[in-house]
Amino acid sequence: PPPAQPLGRNLKAVLCQRCGSRVLLPGAATFAHRELLLPAMRKKAAAAAGGGGDVVREHWLVRDMFSFENVGFTRDVGNVKFLVCADCEAGPIGWHCLDDKDSFYVALERVAHE
Amino acid sequence: MAKKTYDLLFKLLLIGDSGVGKTCVLFRFSDDAFNTTFISTIGIDFKIKTVELQGKKIKLQIWDTAGQERFHTITTSYYRGAMGIMLVYDITNAKSFENISKWLRNIDEHANEDVERMLLGNKCDMEDKRVVSKAKGEQIAREHGIRFFETSAKANINIEKAFLTLAEDILRKTPVKEPNSENVDISSGGGVTGWKSKCC
Repeated sequence: PPPAQPLGRNLKAVLCQRCGSRVLLPGAATFAHRELLLPAMRKKAAAAAGGGGDVVREHWLVRDMFSFENVGFTRDVGNVKFLVCADCEAGPIGWHCLDDKDSFYVALERVAHE
Repeated sequence: MAKKTYDLLFKLLLIGDSGVGKTCVLFRFSDDAFNTTFISTIGIDFKIKTVELQGKKIKLQIWDTAGQERFHTITTSYYRGAMGIMLVYDITNAKSFENISKWLRNIDEHANEDVERMLLGNKCDMEDKRVVSKAKGEQIAREHGIRFFETSAKANINIEKAFLTLAEDILRKTPVKEPNSENVDISSGGGVTGWKSKCC
């Protein structure tokens, strides 16, 4: 279950699964459902998907880019930027559509919580 | 909840020839379970990092020039709003060092004149392949009145220090403003948060 507060904000800090870099402080995001396709983050998944990705549905939604503690943005892929760890560049951990300037999605299953 | 949780925002640019070490972060982890192909193919546009200096929470927005490393492609619009520039060469690549003078001229021509500059000689963990002495780096930095560090993203040497020093130099030039209680997140502690300094 997502470590969320009753308000739906993240109770724990959001960290990179590989290097532990701090992506979000506790309370910086709200829980959101949205079906998104993210390119595979792990080699095993990449091989299984044959270059495709995973459908992810549960996210931390961030409204202001500067609410992130540490995060990286890829170059544009169509009208999307993917989010990665700012320190080790593991990812994609999240998704941002250029058509919606105030929404940044971080996939729960692609990050650690502490 | 749209409260601003930081005090200052600094825009920084990483500039230098291609191959000077801006992608080496990925090599450190290339044999683990993570898929690096996708990210390294697309490339990183910019990063946001958070540091604390003198009790202020500062957001660094760091732009990478990877893929545009030709002087003529980097002009005024690219430099607009930049408060700090990290000029990077590779100590194992003589050409990247020779081009530093051209990059400095490019900055003079196109960047804001009070932009804070810093010179970094990267890959200093590769001593056996060194072709640019530390003294040469120090000399060109002295001639231009800018700071100089030798760094290694791979061995995690001086990267954090370089970013913090550049941020401090910019902060020193930033006009002092009475802290606005609306903009201060009192829950933040001291020190640097989440800074792993693996970035090149």
